[in-house]
Amino acid sequence: MRRKKPASGFFIAVVVIILYFILFPHPLGRELVARPAWTLSLPAAESLPPGGRSPDSPAEAGRPDALQRPDAFQLGDTFGYVGPSGRLVHVEKTLFRVALSEAGFVNYTRIGSDWVLRDPAGERLFSFAGRGYPMASGDGARVFVVKTDLTGLQEVDRSGEVLWNRDFPSMLTSVSIEGGHLLAGLMDGSLELLDRTGAAVFTHATSGSRIPVILAAAVSSDGSRLACLCGIDPQVLTVLGKKGASFAETSRTLLSAEFRKEVRLLFSPDSRYLVLEGDGAAGLADPGSRELSWTPLGGSLTGVSFLGRARAAALLARGESSWRLTIAAPLSSVLCAASFRATAAFLGSVDGQILLGIDGRLLRVDVEAM
Amino acid sequence: MRRLLPLAALVLVAPLSLSALDWPVGRTVVTATFGEDRTDHFHNGIDIGGGEQDVQPFLPGELVFRYEENSDYTSLPRGVGSFVVVHHADDIETVYCHLKRGTIDPRRTTYGARDRIGVMGDTGYSEGTHLHFIVRDEQSASYVNPLSLLPAIADAQAPVIRRVALAIGDQVRTLAPGAIVPSGRGTVLAEIYDPRADVKFLWPMAPYGVRLSVDGKEIARVSFDALQVVEGRMVLRGTRLASRDVYAADGMMRCGEVDLRPGTSHLLLTVRDFAGNETSRELPFTVRD
Repeated sequence: MRRKKPASGFFIAVVVIILYFILFPHPLGRELVARPAWTLSLPAAESLPPGGRSPDSPAEAGRPDALQRPDAFQLGDTFGYVGPSGRLVHVEKTLFRVALSEAGFVNYTRIGSDWVLRDPAGERLFSFAGRGYPMASGDGARVFVVKTDLTGLQEVDRSGEVLWNRDFPSMLTSVSIEGGHLLAGLMDGSLELLDRTGAAVFTHATSGSRIPVILAAAVSSDGSRLACLCGIDPQVLTVLGKKGASFAETSRTLLSAEFRKEVRLLFSPDSRYLVLEGDGAAGLADPGSRELSWTPLGGSLTGVSFLGRARAAALLARGESSWRLTIAAPLSSVLCAASFRATAAFLGSVDGQILLGIDGRLLRVDVEAM
Repeated sequence: MRRLLPLAALVLVAPLSLSALDWPVGRTVVTATFGEDRTDHFHNGIDIGGGEQDVQPFLPGELVFRYEENSDYTSLPRGVGSFVVVHHADDIETVYCHLKRGTIDPRRTTYGARDRIGVMGDTGYSEGTHLHFIVRDEQSASYVNPLSLLPAIADAQAPVIRRVALAIGDQVRTLAPGAIVPSGRGTVLAEIYDPRADVKFLWPMAPYGVRLSVDGKEIARVSFDALQVVEGRMVLRGTRLASRDVYAADGMMRCGEVDLRPGTSHLLLTVRDFAGNETSRELPFTVRD
């Protein structure tokens, strides 16, 4: 017959655990505080004159952020630029689409072949021509023309001259431009990485799916990583890392999604994390550790903004009847989330913080760790 | 040639199957042909007018990619407007462009022969309701002339050669019978139309084939069968001819280069459309010293 352990052993264990937490307290994670900084009402698109409005009165020009670089926004059928402290630098009605970048924009009509790149204040920088639609890199340093049938690209310089022209073996499905790198995803399931001269420095044919197709392509800002969401049956997230002068596959993750359209896929500005649109969720991946975690969004992902100081990502999703803003730390939990109703919404960044647009209003939200 | 086998097989097998190749719309008015000049590229499909109507797949297939203008996310501007890409047997893909907004069923992933893909529309870079229809052979990575696969449509009108000209250096002169031209190397240019009874405007539609002979010797032949990319340039398959090699800036077709040696010569330009209608222009001319 076994002897029954005395109950005093249990109490001693509990006391030891309590003493451990008293003597060696584990610090709790820092709290995240989201603080509205300012709001701004935008004029109705119908009230804007052709060429937009740059309400830079002497009083506005004297504001502290007058010399700071404004950030771009696009809300409903208006777009423009706003300064860090809420100074509206320019606002304009979108004609058909707008090629929007930090350094300027091209507001263009559905049919046209002559375009003007304007700076954030609406001043003309240069004009150029082509057959297709214009596109600018995020920093505005590079301007392209996408051929109407999606079979080719041209880059133009500041005098409007064509620098290079490249045709692709299949239709373009997704393009990612970061610095001197342009990654083109194609309908036939291949990737082409082009350098500043338009030459293909790396090509990659995805494989393993019944139907090859690139549904999203992304190049990191430092050019060290490429990623793509590709294939139908199965759908795969593939990450490639730089290896010498070429790239090699570093991870391949089978996904349960079955997208048959382009989805969002982008690297964080520090090239460390990858955000991937999922079915009602966003995937936050660390290509270094090959970890991927999913954050439920309650709708489709429509915007992503990285918050450098808080090491978090803001995610905007559109559900059936509402929008949802979620702030999540990569590979961790949801830090906070808020839902709201709106006809149009936009998520961007201003001065490294959240710039949220909701039905004709812009709102800056500062997120800080306390 | 081996790469064309799947396509040839498709053409042969299709009439035997229940799901034969079919025009993607009921009313078929071809308003632009394959290989036409689009300033900086070839037209990589055909345009079909006939007014707003349902668009069906030309074979049963599976959805590969769709884009709904002003609704779906896109990282690049898309001149093809709302469009659908369908994968068929033998690695054939077809693309249906400029569909009317809101007519693509977002839940559908397979298409039977009579299923609706969408409605013909005017989205994207389009100047009127039409369907831009593309056929791709994935095995040969080529855009194929859809007219080589679709059931033939009646066309009794022969192509028209409105003008033949000779470009020597910067000089372009119309070449009339009996013309006297300087010696050197010249490019034969031609203004060609392929009128059709059901198209009410005169548009320089690309013919199917152009053949140029001088003094009985064939010196150039262009056939708008297929397009593919070679070293980053879209060219007519089997050649290194890009759109700017085939078309001059004013839209005239570059039919071939000739060595103009003193004496009399005889030029024969033959143009054929897809229905087999043919037009020839014979031009005797003299090259002076």
